[in-house]
Amino acid sequence: MKTRQAARPAPPLRDLAETLVVYARTCGADEAEVSVVDGYEFNVDVRKGRIETLIEAGSRSAGVRIIKDKKTAYASSSDLDMGTLNRLVRNAVRRAELGNPDEFAGLAPLSKEQVDAASLDLYDPEIARLDSKTKIALARDTERAALRDKRITNSYGATFASNEIRSVLAMTTGFVGEYEQTYCGLGVGLQAGDTDDRVEDSWSSSKRHFKDLETPDAIARKAVERTVRQLKPRKIRTQNVPVIFDPTQTSWLMGFLFGCVTGTAIYQKASFLEGKLGQRIGNERVTVIDDALMPGQLGSHPFDSDGLPCRRTMVVEKGVLRNFLCNYYSARKLGLRSTGSADGSGVGPANFYLEPGPGAVAAQDIIAGTKKGLLLIRTLGHGLNSVTGDISRGAFGLWIEDGAIAYPVTEVTISGNLGRILETIEAVGTDLEFLSPVTGPTIRVAEMTVAGE
Amino acid sequence: MRNQEKARFQRDSPPGGQSLKSRPLGERSPQKPLSYVDHFGLSAADLREVLGVALSSGGDFAEIFMERRAYDFINMEEDIIKETAEAISLGMGIRVIRGDRTGFGYTNDLSLDKVKKTALTASAIARGKAGQAPPPPLRDRTRASSRYIVRRPASEASLREKMTLVREAYAAAKGYDPRIAKVKTHHSDSLVHVCIANSEGLLVRDTRPMVKLICVAISEKDGKRESGYWGGGGRVGMEYFHDVLTPREIGEEAAREALLLLEAVDAPAGEMPIVLAPGHSGVLIHEAVGHLLEADFTRKKTSIFWNKMGKKVGSGLVTIYDDPTIPSARGSYNIDDEGTPPRKTLLVERGVVRGLLQDKLSSRLMHGAALTGHGRRQDYSHWPIPRMANTYIAAGADAPEDILRSVKKGFYVASLSGGQVEDSGKFTFSVSLGYLIEDGKLTAPVKQATLIGTNIDILKKIDRVGSDLAFGLQTGTCSKDGQDVPVTDGCPTLRIEKMTVGGRS
Repeated sequence: MKTRQAARPAPPLRDLAETLVVYARTCGADEAEVSVVDGYEFNVDVRKGRIETLIEAGSRSAGVRIIKDKKTAYASSSDLDMGTLNRLVRNAVRRAELGNPDEFAGLAPLSKEQVDAASLDLYDPEIARLDSKTKIALARDTERAALRDKRITNSYGATFASNEIRSVLAMTTGFVGEYEQTYCGLGVGLQAGDTDDRVEDSWSSSKRHFKDLETPDAIARKAVERTVRQLKPRKIRTQNVPVIFDPTQTSWLMGFLFGCVTGTAIYQKASFLEGKLGQRIGNERVTVIDDALMPGQLGSHPFDSDGLPCRRTMVVEKGVLRNFLCNYYSARKLGLRSTGSADGSGVGPANFYLEPGPGAVAAQDIIAGTKKGLLLIRTLGHGLNSVTGDISRGAFGLWIEDGAIAYPVTEVTISGNLGRILETIEAVGTDLEFLSPVTGPTIRVAEMTVAGE
Repeated sequence: MRNQEKARFQRDSPPGGQSLKSRPLGERSPQKPLSYVDHFGLSAADLREVLGVALSSGGDFAEIFMERRAYDFINMEEDIIKETAEAISLGMGIRVIRGDRTGFGYTNDLSLDKVKKTALTASAIARGKAGQAPPPPLRDRTRASSRYIVRRPASEASLREKMTLVREAYAAAKGYDPRIAKVKTHHSDSLVHVCIANSEGLLVRDTRPMVKLICVAISEKDGKRESGYWGGGGRVGMEYFHDVLTPREIGEEAAREALLLLEAVDAPAGEMPIVLAPGHSGVLIHEAVGHLLEADFTRKKTSIFWNKMGKKVGSGLVTIYDDPTIPSARGSYNIDDEGTPPRKTLLVERGVVRGLLQDKLSSRLMHGAALTGHGRRQDYSHWPIPRMANTYIAAGADAPEDILRSVKKGFYVASLSGGQVEDSGKFTFSVSLGYLIEDGKLTAPVKQATLIGTNIDILKKIDRVGSDLAFGLQTGTCSKDGQDVPVTDGCPTLRIEKMTVGGRS
């Protein structure tokens, strides 16, 4: 039985990571990598003017990758007792021995290039200085502003959240990296209409810097507008029509595309884009970039979980598939170069977005130029298959007739195929905003099936 | 931010999160007076002291949730055991309730000092005068009997044995047909010790095992690719993979689905009669009914069901339960994450709304509505909210083959990959494999399609209920408010008069 009193306290983050790397070597690991994360979280939910929940907490965790005889084992723990961590490292070495050798296993060699974390502007000291009262007031003000609109009949509440995170990565290759980052977010969810005819939507702003956060009034206004525009919807007949994706919808479409361009999905043959590198996969309007180096943006970071420097990668250039996003492992498997996209044992996006390009037009002009079609504003359910590119999701939208919004549409589905969508994007909007790390502007797709009655 | 996604079910979840060495199951001895609480290094007296601190600003209720989770994972792809992982998660969440307000803090440093600091943080929500008397002495209510029927705990099985399971499933899928191009197999198992103490004098523990083996197969023919999925597990031991579902069956089923999809046609689009296969299709009830009868949505009046208690919302053929007490099911538990012993809860009886899934907070705010034992949380860093466990629609009287024969032209849902609902009752579920029904018979296989409807409309349109109740795969996860918990769903063969199918035309 373990008693806390006897536990050895954990040393500071960087020392801890370096100590464990050394320990892994003494246990027989050929290579080892240790990451340690120290996080602080604040979250307040306010509903109908009252605080519903308030969370404040700090937590630490450590992750280990061991390579022995070309065999890989991982371990992680939120118990930073040195006894526990050392045991996990010993177990990992033993477990690695039981696996199969993989010629591609191994840590990335130390890179000469480094990205200066300070140049990325990922940390806002103001967030640490905000007191609880201010944060609670922001949530309260946001909800109050939204509830002033008489069409709003219920509230899911408003939330303010902030995080401060320090990450350290140390490897037997000699790599040691460390950086701090912050996030803050403010949002509100609303309902409008009577019980049996409710519609809902929400809006939130999420930033690394407090000063960049949208104001409570702006957030409330968008949440109200997005909610009430869905009131009194109709069902429509099943038909094939142009579909306009609003930026929140382009965002999930880009998320789906991201899942299809990762090196992992490619070598696993889990993507319809396998074997298409250098080929045309979309029309000239399609340019997609993954950029980790945009100062202050949510998806920016200096190095990836392989310890490689992050960078800007052209993924699709005017319709031509230029690069898959790879961690060191998948890059080696595919005979490509890492794009600095390692995220844990997989591949993650930095700021992954569809670029508006020179032919981009204002979003309202895209709508105005649509004779008949569906403006997609929300979706429900999964219905995304990366192996085929097939899409089928529940949809909420606004029906467009002669260039203007006619009425809201509900209980329909949209279906199509991502490959076909990339080939038939007819218009790209100028309204690109980095509301989330995976994003894009308004787009219009020539035709999808909208299934209704 | 937390609270991003409201209510969705997936038949599988990404690996991570959740087994290991500890006492064998079923050896708990509640009679023994407690000096130290295992794994956590805090005595009952310490816990009572911490509860006192938590109430020091005048909270009505305080609770300590301690958790130690040990998780093992094996991944096989490209013909090799590519990696293994072990994860330990240890921590404590402290909650203080005052009226409708909840203060919550968590820590993974369980030194008494740090724990008291966390209690103080959580207490700040109350902002009032100190409570009256210190909390009562803690009484251990841990029961000796368990719902987890485990003969050979995965936490004690060797890594080699688990690797053998993974290799068998892999080989079965890969060897099924030359058109199977890629296979991926995962084994994961976990053992979670929880200990809950609260200011009502409760002290209770549970040790929860979980095992899962899944296989994804990718088929390829003439440049066309499809994927199939199968898996199993639950709160069971290693014997499950011998007695109930073998690795071979898991591999073969995944391969079979992937191959069938190669021949599949696009789904039809529009409204049509639907027949749901038994088992998997329980996702429909999970989404259409279960979520919206979770008490928090009713208390906040956001659910379309909030004003429908005692009212008829569906066909008289529809009776729905949530039962966390089914032995060894993935969604089952001995106590919920607030320490309440769960009970089988009637949600809908012959089309009439009869019950809600309750947690302590909702029950308090709904004037003492009876607890049902559905307060669950993802882990110590989350507070409990009302959740489903094992949700199902009760068997009816119809023979399944009669139901199929009754449909001239329609869509048969064979397997589902997930679903989602919003509070208005609009819900979707995603079909991974379906069939066309023509003249009462299954004809062409149909690939991926999403179905959409509104619950109070679709429940009225369930017009045939089969006698063949079954549960879906024991691998599903439900997400709500950013928290994932293991669940299962069940249903017999059902017919829906008509529903919108999101295919292509």
